[in-house]
Amino acid sequence: MAIRARRLTKVFETGRRRARRRIEAVRELDLDVAAGERVAYIGPNGAGKSTSIKILTGILHPTAGGATVLGLTPWEDRRLLARRIGTLFGQRSLLWLELTPRQSYRMLAAIYGLDRAAEQRRIAELGDLLEASGLFDQPVRSLSLGQRMRCELTACLLHDPEILFLDEPTIGLDLVAKQRFRELLVRLNEQQGTTIFLTSHDVADIEHVAKRAIVINHGEVIYDDEVAAMRRTLLATKVVEVGLVEAIAAPTQAGVTLLEHSDQVLRLVVDTNLTPIRVVMDELLDGPAVTDISVVDPPLEQVIGEIYELPAR
Amino acid sequence: MRGLWATLRNAFAEVVAKPLALAAQMSVMMINDFVWVVFWVLFFDRVGTLGGWDRNSILLLQAVLTTAGGLSLGLFTNARRIGAMAVAGDLDAVLALPVAPLPFVLLRRIEPVNLGDLAFGIGLFAIACNPTPARALAFALVVLASTTLLTGFLVLTGALAFFLGRSESGELGFHSMLLLGAYPVDLFAGAIRILLFTVVPAAFVSAVPARLIEEFDAGRALALGGAATVFAIAATITFTLGLRRYTSGSVWTRA
Amino acid sequence: MTRRALVEALRGSAHRSLVDGGGMVVSIAFYVVIVGTLSGLWRVAVHANGGELAGYSAVAITWYIITSEAAIVSVNARHIEDIGADIAQGTVAVELLRPASVLGVRMATEVGRGLPKVAALWGAGAVVAAVVAGGPPRSATLLLAAPSLVLAIIANLLAQHAVAAIAFWIRDAGSVWFLYLKAVFITGGMIIPLELLPDGVQHAAMLMPFRAMAYAPARLAAGYWEPMLFVEQLVWIGILGVVASAAFSAGERRLQVVGG
Repeated sequence: MAIRARRLTKVFETGRRRARRRIEAVRELDLDVAAGERVAYIGPNGAGKSTSIKILTGILHPTAGGATVLGLTPWEDRRLLARRIGTLFGQRSLLWLELTPRQSYRMLAAIYGLDRAAEQRRIAELGDLLEASGLFDQPVRSLSLGQRMRCELTACLLHDPEILFLDEPTIGLDLVAKQRFRELLVRLNEQQGTTIFLTSHDVADIEHVAKRAIVINHGEVIYDDEVAAMRRTLLATKVVEVGLVEAIAAPTQAGVTLLEHSDQVLRLVVDTNLTPIRVVMDELLDGPAVTDISVVDPPLEQVIGEIYELPAR
Repeated sequence: MRGLWATLRNAFAEVVAKPLALAAQMSVMMINDFVWVVFWVLFFDRVGTLGGWDRNSILLLQAVLTTAGGLSLGLFTNARRIGAMAVAGDLDAVLALPVAPLPFVLLRRIEPVNLGDLAFGIGLFAIACNPTPARALAFALVVLASTTLLTGFLVLTGALAFFLGRSESGELGFHSMLLLGAYPVDLFAGAIRILLFTVVPAAFVSAVPARLIEEFDAGRALALGGAATVFAIAATITFTLGLRRYTSGSVWTRA
Repeated sequence: MTRRALVEALRGSAHRSLVDGGGMVVSIAFYVVIVGTLSGLWRVAVHANGGELAGYSAVAITWYIITSEAAIVSVNARHIEDIGADIAQGTVAVELLRPASVLGVRMATEVGRGLPKVAALWGAGAVVAAVVAGGPPRSATLLLAAPSLVLAIIANLLAQHAVAAIAFWIRDAGSVWFLYLKAVFITGGMIIPLELLPDGVQHAAMLMPFRAMAYAPARLAAGYWEPMLFVEQLVWIGILGVVASAAFSAGERRLQVVGG
C-alpha cells in the first residue's frame, strides 16, 4: 500500500480557559491507497481534508492512530518521505514571486540533490508534459493563476516523486484552466505512474480526474468506491436549465422531472441512468427557442446527503 | 548545504529585483540610525563620560548593535516572524521539503529595510571607531556572537507561539530587545541589570561586545560566547518541539 | 449636523480605545520600559554632573521624560502611512463625499483615540516617576501640563495630516512617517530636553512646530511655570490647522480633476 491510515485522529484545542473547545478535525480515519491510483478525497469545508493530507505529508502530528506512506511514518520520517513525495497546496506557493520559475527550480534542485544535467533534463521533460516550457523564464508575478499552477506543478514534480498530494489545487482557476489542469494530472498518472491523491470540494474533480472517490464529512470517511460506481448511484442526476425565447414543450423521457416551466425558463432534473443527457439536450436544442443552456452536476451537499441515505453495505 | 546557499541566493535575488525600492528603504533606515547617533553625540557632548562610557565607546556600541540588528532582522528576517508564521500556517512550504526547517526558514526571506542597518553599522565602525585590523577582526567576531544571540532570542520568543497559540510573544521579544539594547548596560543596577544579562540579554547584544573590542577580557568573551550558544540551542530545541504542536493555520480556517 | 458628526466620531473612537484592554496593556508595558530606561539614563547623567543638568534635577528630568514620551507614544505616527495608503487606493474619494470635512472627521477620530491612551500612559508614567525619582517637582504645574498634553496631541495629529496630504500630490507617503518621527525625537525635545541641545540646534528647534508636540507639556510637568508655552502651542495649532486644511482642499480638487 502506498498510503495507509488506521484510526487516524487529530484534535485541535482552541480558546482560552473557560472558552476552551476541542475540535475533532479527523476522527478514526481508515484509508488504503495503492500505488498508481488516482484518488479524489472530497468533502465540504471543514470536513478535515486539509488536516488529513497534512498529517499524511508529515506537516502535522496526529493526536492518535497511525499512518504509513511508502512504508514511512510521515511525521517521524518527514525529511526522508519528502524526497519521495510531492505536495501542491493551492493556497501555499513553492515559487518565489519576484523571480522566474526556473530560478526557483534551481533552488529546489539543489535541495533535492539533483545535479545540473538532471535538473535541465527534468525541467525540459516536465515543460513538455505540462505544456509550460514557455512560462519558465518570466517572473512568477506576471503569470496568470492557471499558468502559475502549472509552474507550481512542475516544481513539486522536479524530484520525480512517487506520490503527488494536492490540496485544493484548482481553487480560483477558471473553467478552462481547471479542465486543463485535470487533464495534466491524468496524463501524469498514466504516463509516469505517479499516484495522485487530490483533495477538493468540487464534484467535477471526481468526474474528470479520479478513478476512485473517498468522501469525508465531519472528519470521517463516509464513502469510498470506484468513481464509475459512484456515477451510477450518486452522480446520475443532472440539473438542466434552459433560457427560452418562446415557450416550448418539456421533454418527457423516462427519468426527466420538471422543476420549473415558463415562457422564459425551463428547469429539469434528468436521471442519466434512465435517459442519457445527450438525448434530452438534443430534443431541447432542436429548434430556435433556446438562448441559453446549462448542465450542472449535483452539488456536493446533495451528494453527501444521498450518501447518508444509501442502504448500509 | 547547497540548498541553503541556493535559498540565500534566491532571497537576495528577490530583494535586488527592485533596486530603487531597496535603495529607498535602506536610506530611510540609515537616516533613522543616524538620528540616534546624533542623540548620543549630543548627550555625551553635554555629559562627558558616564560610568566608564564616553562618546567613542557609545559609537562602538551603536555600530555593533546596528550591524548585528541588520544581520538578524535583515538577513535572517524570518527570525522575528516565527510567531506569526506558526500561527498563520506559513511553515507548510518549508515542511514539505526534505530539509531541516529552521535554517531554511531563516534564510528564506531578506528584509531590505534592515539591510540599511547593516550598511550603517559597518559604515559607522569604519568611519568613527578607529578600525585597525585587530579591532576589525574583533568587531567581526563579536558581531557574529551578537547576531547569533539576537537571532536565537527572537526565534525562542517567537517559537513560544506554538505553545501559546498567539504570536505576540515574538513581537514583544523583538521590541524589548531593541529598546534595551541601545543602552550601555553599566548604567543600570539591581533588577534591571540582571534582566539585561539573562531573560532579555540586551547587554550581550551590544554593550558587552563593544567593551570587548576596546579591551579584550577572557571572562567577558566567554560569557558572550556562552550566552550566544545557550540561546541558539534553546531556540532550536523550542522550535523543534513547537513543530509537533504546529496547527498549520487550521484552527483559524475552521472559524 | 457637522458638529454632531464630529463629536460622535470622537466619542466613538475614544470608547473603542478604552475597550481594547489587551492593546492598552501592551502599550503601557512598552511605554514603561521606554521611560524607565531613558529616564534612568538621564538620572545617571544628572548625578554624574553634580545633581543638575541645564537646571534640571534628577526628579525634574524624570517627569520631563515621562511626559514627552506619553505625548508622542499615544499618537500613532503610522497614521501618516495609513492616510497615504488610503489616498493611493482612493478610499479618501469616498470620504470626501461625506458632509463633514474629511480633515475634521479624521482629526476627531484620532484625537478620540489618543485621549484615553495619553491619560493611561501619563498615569502609568507618573507612578513610575514617583517610584524611581520622587513626586512631581511642582504639583501646580501639572494643572497646566494636563491640558498641554491634549494640545500636544492635536498639534501632532494636525502636522501628520499636513504631511500626509503630500500623498495627494506624490501618491506615496511611504516612509515619510519614519522621518517625521525622527524629527520629533530631537527637535521636539522628546528624548533630550531642548535646553541640553547645542545653541544652534536649540534656536532652530524654536522655529519648528515639533516643540509643541512634546517639549511644551514635558517642560511644564518638570516643574517650570511657563504659561507662554500654552500660547505657543495654540499658535502652532492654528498654523498647522490652516496648512492641513489647505493641503487637503487642494488635494480634494486634484482628486476630482484626476477622477479618483
